[in-house]
Amino acid sequence: MAEIEAKKAKPMGWTELYLKEDWWAIYLGLGITFLAVIAFMNGSPMLKSLAINPGGLKWTSLDQLFAHFANNYHLYAVQFIAWLVILGISTRIMGIKTSEFIGAFVILYLLSMVSFSIGGWASAGNYMLEPPFVALLIGLAIANVVPFPKWMDSGFRVEYYIKTGIVLLGATFPLRLVLSAGPVALFEATVISLTTCLTIYFAATKLFGLDKRLAAVIGTGGAVCGVSGSMAIASAVGAKKEDLYTSVTLVVGWALVMILFIPFVSNILHLHPGIAGAWVGTSEFADAAGFAAASSYGRLAGNEDAAIQGFTLMKVIGRDIWIGIWSFVFALIACFKWEKEACGVRPPAMEIWWRFPKFVLGFFVASLIMTSLVAGYSPADFKALVKPGLFGPIAGIRTWAFIFCFLSIGLTTRFKELKSAGWKPFFAFTIGVAVNVTLGFILSAYVFGDYWSKLGQ
Amino acid sequence: MEDKCVDCKYFDNRSALIESTFPGLNSLSSAYGSVWAESGICSLNELFLSPWRRCKDFKHIDLDALP
Repeated sequence: MAEIEAKKAKPMGWTELYLKEDWWAIYLGLGITFLAVIAFMNGSPMLKSLAINPGGLKWTSLDQLFAHFANNYHLYAVQFIAWLVILGISTRIMGIKTSEFIGAFVILYLLSMVSFSIGGWASAGNYMLEPPFVALLIGLAIANVVPFPKWMDSGFRVEYYIKTGIVLLGATFPLRLVLSAGPVALFEATVISLTTCLTIYFAATKLFGLDKRLAAVIGTGGAVCGVSGSMAIASAVGAKKEDLYTSVTLVVGWALVMILFIPFVSNILHLHPGIAGAWVGTSEFADAAGFAAASSYGRLAGNEDAAIQGFTLMKVIGRDIWIGIWSFVFALIACFKWEKEACGVRPPAMEIWWRFPKFVLGFFVASLIMTSLVAGYSPADFKALVKPGLFGPIAGIRTWAFIFCFLSIGLTTRFKELKSAGWKPFFAFTIGVAVNVTLGFILSAYVFGDYWSKLGQ
Repeated sequence: MEDKCVDCKYFDNRSALIESTFPGLNSLSSAYGSVWAESGICSLNELFLSPWRRCKDFKHIDLDALP
């Protein structure tokens, strides 16, 4: 019986509350938010101390950097232990081996420190060496030159870290922004998602004669939320394993290209960070990759908040939360049009909820709580008290979650392990990428540019 | 026990197995997230499937055959 239980995962009920990283991201994000509020109310610097990182030092000599560590080693020690204990326990409950997690996390933390330190160099901005880029490049270099053992992926939990970061982002994200810009983001994202998905689907099936299921899997991979979208649609339509191999390779490859391409072009065009963030939101394929691109360009342009806000509105609210509906619709199409008699069962509407990215609920709850809490402060008090005393520590801790994520992307991307995608899927997907990037730029910069350029004020 | 994929002997949906089967999946996604929704691999037909699906090849897990 134990073997059966070990083989089968059948939560879809209350056990999901402690077996899925989405829920843990909510607990962790909201827990840190509550601690920050308590510390702020009591005037305690505790959380502020734990948010420390060398990314904002602007050091000009190594002596300055070493002096920073010498003066604050005790804070870093406490910070490390806090992360290790919280993440170690939660991943253990999710079924990840603690011995593997600890070994990997020690490395991850040290490399994060290196990434922050390089990004904290006074001249780093001149070379686009923002911490997200640095972390990604360090991770990619290690993974593809001297890769760590595969078991260490247990600690390189890209999605867990980015989801935690997004919930923490909600705590500093004004609810009025969600309400005012959300519908615009939703409209723009829907136009682009539908256009991209249909472009890839018809290019794959009509131009290259590929199977409908493969076309659906790579179509949603390019249009909705990358690998997660592909995984959801692959299982909904009953795709071949090879179809998912293909989509993972295409999405990971193009996502890495876009992390560099969109900030690079945005920099040349001197785009407002809000506009660039929205563009990343329409045209990057995964949350983790998108945050790396948006955060890097935002820091480079001197307004990270605007880029992050634009990206979050477009990607998380505009695209991610609809994955369940995409999945259900494709399951219906597969069942009643592609398979007919072979289908065997009507797709359950609960599919929409099962696949809903629950961590987004944490984002909304955090935003709602914090917006209500700070509503009574005058703009002057907000700037003088709330921003440095409450939002600052939360943003600092969020930065750590993001850097863990960006490093993990690099450390888990081993190019030689990716399966070959084949030329036909590659070209079908690439046509969709071209349409997506162009349309995303036009809509973000011109049609809705006025909205996005007001972000971050 | 119902004759859904999740109860079939050919279906395996352990998160660690899913991530090791699809190289690169954990670079930008995860088999521990909600979106995964207990999907798994059918070893008979080499398909990636939702747990609620059914097919003519369904075979109950043979409890007696287990050690």
